[in-house]
Amino acid sequence: MTADGPAAAQRRAARLLRWYPVTWRARYGAEFTELLLAELADRPRSWQRTADVVRSGLLARLTAVGLTSHRQEPAGQLRAGLATTGGALAAFGILGGAMLAQLTIGWQWGSPQAPATAAGTLVMSVAALIIGLVVVLAGAPVAFFTVVTLARDPARKLAWPAGLLAAGAGSLVIGAHHFQNSWPGTGGTAGHRGLMPAGMAAFSWASTLSVSSYWAHPAQLLRFPAAQQAWMVVSPVAAACLITGAAGLARRLPMPARLLAYLTRLAVAGALGAACFFAGAACWIFGQGSAHAGLFHAGVLDVAGLAVMTLALAAAVRATLSAREAIGRLARPAGG
Amino acid sequence: MTGSQRSAEGTGPAQGKDSAALGSFGRYAGPATLILSSLAGGPKHGYALTKDIEQFAGLRLAPGTLYEALSRLEGQGLIEALESADRRRPYQLTAVGATALRAHLDDQRRVADVGLSRLTRSWGST
Repeated sequence: MTADGPAAAQRRAARLLRWYPVTWRARYGAEFTELLLAELADRPRSWQRTADVVRSGLLARLTAVGLTSHRQEPAGQLRAGLATTGGALAAFGILGGAMLAQLTIGWQWGSPQAPATAAGTLVMSVAALIIGLVVVLAGAPVAFFTVVTLARDPARKLAWPAGLLAAGAGSLVIGAHHFQNSWPGTGGTAGHRGLMPAGMAAFSWASTLSVSSYWAHPAQLLRFPAAQQAWMVVSPVAAACLITGAAGLARRLPMPARLLAYLTRLAVAGALGAACFFAGAACWIFGQGSAHAGLFHAGVLDVAGLAVMTLALAAAVRATLSAREAIGRLARPAGG
Repeated sequence: MTGSQRSAEGTGPAQGKDSAALGSFGRYAGPATLILSSLAGGPKHGYALTKDIEQFAGLRLAPGTLYEALSRLEGQGLIEALESADRRRPYQLTAVGATALRAHLDDQRRVADVGLSRLTRSWGST
């Protein structure tokens, strides 16, 4: 036993166990703690053991959300894969929406000089429409099943994720609707030349107002109206509530197998749409060359955004593959 | 080439389904083989597995690595957990696991045989 005694060893084992996700701890926690206690008695100090547990715990966390190729129980893996795909695509959409809003404002005042910017914007616009359609097609049946389930059984543990989702979505819609009146594209050329309608572009701009390089320039940020500053703080919180609520619903809402299969197909379509959007964004950022970009200028924030979008897209693709693998196992007859 | 060499170097069960069960473990194939080999001697819990593997293979599996491999083996139905009165849950080999282990070890033995026979031919018996 360690020099500090059994209680200290228990505390260390409990600390190490916390690296693992809840589901893993529920299954292996007790026996793993026993092993750790025996290991601590044999070798009280070992940084290799700590590193191994931390690495393994983080890997188990990635597995629990469908981000590794490690197979889990298929129903759980499917729901985890769908929830993670939704979350990753939502994060992708927030950053992508901010990029497209910037480009749409530029286009409102004049066509871009660089062909890559024009092509990239058009590709991003079409991809955004595909992603939007996927969100509507996925959201409608999920919303219907949530309402039906809550009506039949109000005690079911759906209240908080549904409430979180509704609060986040409601705040975003109301806030963005209010602030879209300040859209910098207002008053531009009469004939809008982008693919995205001006109203949608203004809404997209207002809902992603927090994705801004003004955070790095506090003096300029403080010149904004107080309400707009508050919105830049509130809107990411609202988006986080929306994503967390949606992920919670995907994990808890009892959905028939056919609906889960349908959502998996939509997840594939959403990931493909995001990949197209990504290609358009990369085309804009890396293809603008030395042409005077003006409002189409891609800055450090856009490059950083693209880097985060790369991670989000990779997560969405990995989670979608995990969901597809799980649904394949669920559809296979037992013993097949 | 002799008959035994042909058997050793040709396509045998190395590509078989049972061996693939362990082959799909990637970098966990090593720990998985050690765990299955240990459980071939009878059911054991985590710490007993660690000590047994240390004794016969000369290496100590770290706790995180051990349980990663155990959960994968259990997920593939190669081992199963037994009921236990205390918190140390023992595991035992399943019939599928025994078949997979045998196929995997046969493959490894064939590779070892080829290597040893070529060493002997080219470098002598020393």
